[in-house]
Amino acid sequence: MTTIDERNPELEGIGRYDFGWADSDVAGATAKRGLSEEVVRDISSKKSEPQWMLDLRLKGLKLFGRKPMPSWGSDLSGIDFDNIKYFVRSSEKQAATWDDLPEDIKNTYDKLGIPEAEKQRLVSGVAAQYESEVVYHSIREDLEEQGVLFLDTDTALKEHPELFQEYFGTVIPVGDNKFAALNTSVWSGGSFIYVPKGVHVDIPLQAYFRINTENMGQFERTLIIVDEDAYVHYVEGCTAPIYSSDSLHSAVVEIIVKKGGRCRYTTIQNWSNNVYNLVTKRATCEAGATMEWVDGNIGSKVTMKYPAIYLMGEHAKGETLSIAFAGEGQHQDAGAKMVHAAPHTSSSILSKSVARGGGRTSYRGLIQVNEGAHGSKSNVLCDALLVDQVSRSDTYPYVDIREDDVSMGHEASVSKVSDDQLFYLMSRGMEQDEAMAMIVRGFVEPIAKELPMEYALELNRLIELQMEGAVG
Amino acid sequence: MTVTDAARESVASALEADQVVSHLNPPASYDLADHPVPTGREEIWRFTPLKRLRGVLEGTPSDDRLTWDTTLPDGVTVSTISTAEARALGELAPNDRPSALAVELAGGATLVDVPAELETDGPVLIDLHGESADQLVWGHLVIRVGAYAKATVVLTHTGSARYSATTSVLVGEGAQVNVLTLQDWDDDAVHLGRDAIRVGRDATVRHTAVSFGGDLVRLHANVEYDGPGGDAELLGLYFADAGQHLEHRLFADHNAPKTKSNVVYKGALQGEGAHAVWIGNVLIRKVAEGIETYEENRNLVLTDGCQADSVPNLEIETGEIEGAGHASAVGRFDDEQLFYLRSRGVSEPEARRLVVHGFFNDLVRKVGVPSVEEKLLATVEEELSKNVLQELS
Repeated sequence: MTTIDERNPELEGIGRYDFGWADSDVAGATAKRGLSEEVVRDISSKKSEPQWMLDLRLKGLKLFGRKPMPSWGSDLSGIDFDNIKYFVRSSEKQAATWDDLPEDIKNTYDKLGIPEAEKQRLVSGVAAQYESEVVYHSIREDLEEQGVLFLDTDTALKEHPELFQEYFGTVIPVGDNKFAALNTSVWSGGSFIYVPKGVHVDIPLQAYFRINTENMGQFERTLIIVDEDAYVHYVEGCTAPIYSSDSLHSAVVEIIVKKGGRCRYTTIQNWSNNVYNLVTKRATCEAGATMEWVDGNIGSKVTMKYPAIYLMGEHAKGETLSIAFAGEGQHQDAGAKMVHAAPHTSSSILSKSVARGGGRTSYRGLIQVNEGAHGSKSNVLCDALLVDQVSRSDTYPYVDIREDDVSMGHEASVSKVSDDQLFYLMSRGMEQDEAMAMIVRGFVEPIAKELPMEYALELNRLIELQMEGAVG
Repeated sequence: MTVTDAARESVASALEADQVVSHLNPPASYDLADHPVPTGREEIWRFTPLKRLRGVLEGTPSDDRLTWDTTLPDGVTVSTISTAEARALGELAPNDRPSALAVELAGGATLVDVPAELETDGPVLIDLHGESADQLVWGHLVIRVGAYAKATVVLTHTGSARYSATTSVLVGEGAQVNVLTLQDWDDDAVHLGRDAIRVGRDATVRHTAVSFGGDLVRLHANVEYDGPGGDAELLGLYFADAGQHLEHRLFADHNAPKTKSNVVYKGALQGEGAHAVWIGNVLIRKVAEGIETYEENRNLVLTDGCQADSVPNLEIETGEIEGAGHASAVGRFDDEQLFYLRSRGVSEPEARRLVVHGFFNDLVRKVGVPSVEEKLLATVEEELSKNVLQELS
């Protein structure tokens, strides 16, 4: 039997985690481990932040100590908060052009294909975060002239303090949960986007996050404000080297979509299989606004991520497309949360998950319709595919309705790859693993087609890779 | 060939024959220390207004009893046995604090015994009546249905009490059992109940919970299997009025291959503060290949001010299943149905009545005890006339 690689030479090199190398680690080696008030003060003073931010960080630290670890979801006992490096400054200052980047960092991103994307004008802006801080940034001039801000979060705090203070922490308060509190106390880097009224950013803004140091904690903080009738699509990708001990990624993403605005946020996280990915993402939507999360979870050891949308204004709309792959040793606990707080709001969740090789996928979602949100509609569809007998799939769909005039539906199905489908494809001359990959691709197609092209391709390749050897 | 103990152990652990750890279902245990007083933050308690339990969870001993009135078909016996004897019969151990307290404090159990191969000539009717909500009552019941027997057991709760009970239904191989528990309490009753069912090999069990009355009713229905081929159908029907909290929690533990479970719960809510909670958990263990399961919850919200929580959970550990699915929906009157009826000259109140009637009807028809079916339909009518129809006329 030939392998997939032999038949499809274009897939050459897909059979491994390609991002698992590590650069020589000068900055990380000397960074301090553990969390204390001193560490937090140190981060704040290195960034010469205003007093209010330091106060907020210290409040976060206090709440982090007080909040309990979640007792549900994945097993988080493997996280050793005292062994984590909370702030690793990459050795160089932020570069203005690609060529100014230090050689090793440039090599990293070259391997990830970022300058390529920028050269080909596939994106209108790029940010690259390496360890705790953003190292490279660019945005198209025409957008800059229209007043679009695309900065790293640290710079935004310096350059636009009023805008920053007005919105920071308004969507996700400091004490929202243990990991949001942790992020607030030690956050560093991330993207800050402001799209002024009526501005339509037609090609995506993009960010790449990379962890290089072992036991590193990456705590980026992203704040996106889409003003009235504006539109933006933001895409981020994540990778990390493979180390023997675990790293932690705990980001907070806050999005505010004003009247009639629209925001789409696409993440494909492909962290290596030793990263705990515990992320809080939340958006608020004013009247007539639309928020869309497209959420792909392929990598990481444990992911707990439930992008939320608060529909605060009439006719606001929320949509989440979520896809998760869990292979050996992985637990993808992902889902979505929709809170209907205004009349005639609508939401839809489409979640697809594939578990194989002993991996575990969970869908965990909440639909809440508050009193007064009459005429709201919500639809949830979650499908899970189990490829073998050793994997696990769970569905925990919470629904809380407090209004009579609503329509809410939830449906889920869990299936295995049917023998009929396999037989049909194989009777037409396909190898078994090829047929299996095709079935899985068909299964995730509704979501894959919503991804930007290069990510859709990547996703298809990852499926191919994930499915190889899945059978017999 | 001899199987060594070590081999047996490793097979058992590979198949996860023991408890699968899940935050949804704390492990069963007789030890009260394993069931601490809930704070309200626990997954299994977070929907329940603990204050309204009025001290049931404190575990005060009490000699109060509900009055029993039983109608027994020939061959069926009711007797009192000790707590130890109940345990020896192989009842299912308690899985939460109220059921553990009930075992601890009831001072013995009541055994309803249907001998093997008996086909009863009528239902076993057990009417339980409480005098007032000042009474604190602990209940411990074991219903044993022998192999290849066929029986129907109807438990009716009326009057008022603060009642916590645990009931084990032990179903022998190939038996066919229909258990119905009707909660028709007065408005101030508190009822915490747990019905744990063990389905024998190739046995068929239907469990129906019907909750109309009471200030707070919180019922658990758990199913596990004693061998392949078991088939469990869990049905439920509830009508939450103003201020009522009706909570139904289901757990189908597919611990044997080729077993089936089908859960259908339907409820209507009306009036300020009516709160219905429905939590359906299905666990499909590694060993449970070739099983089929479906859980469904539908809520009909008739007025403003109601709250319906609906959570159909699924935990699946094997891909070799026939099918697993769940659905939940919350909605109000279907305007199209109303329009259809009105266009045929039916008045609006009558049309609404018919729609609700239709919503419950298919479920009521499945109960399988004619006298109870009639009573249920009459109660639904009565509930409707309390609010919806009054408002409109």
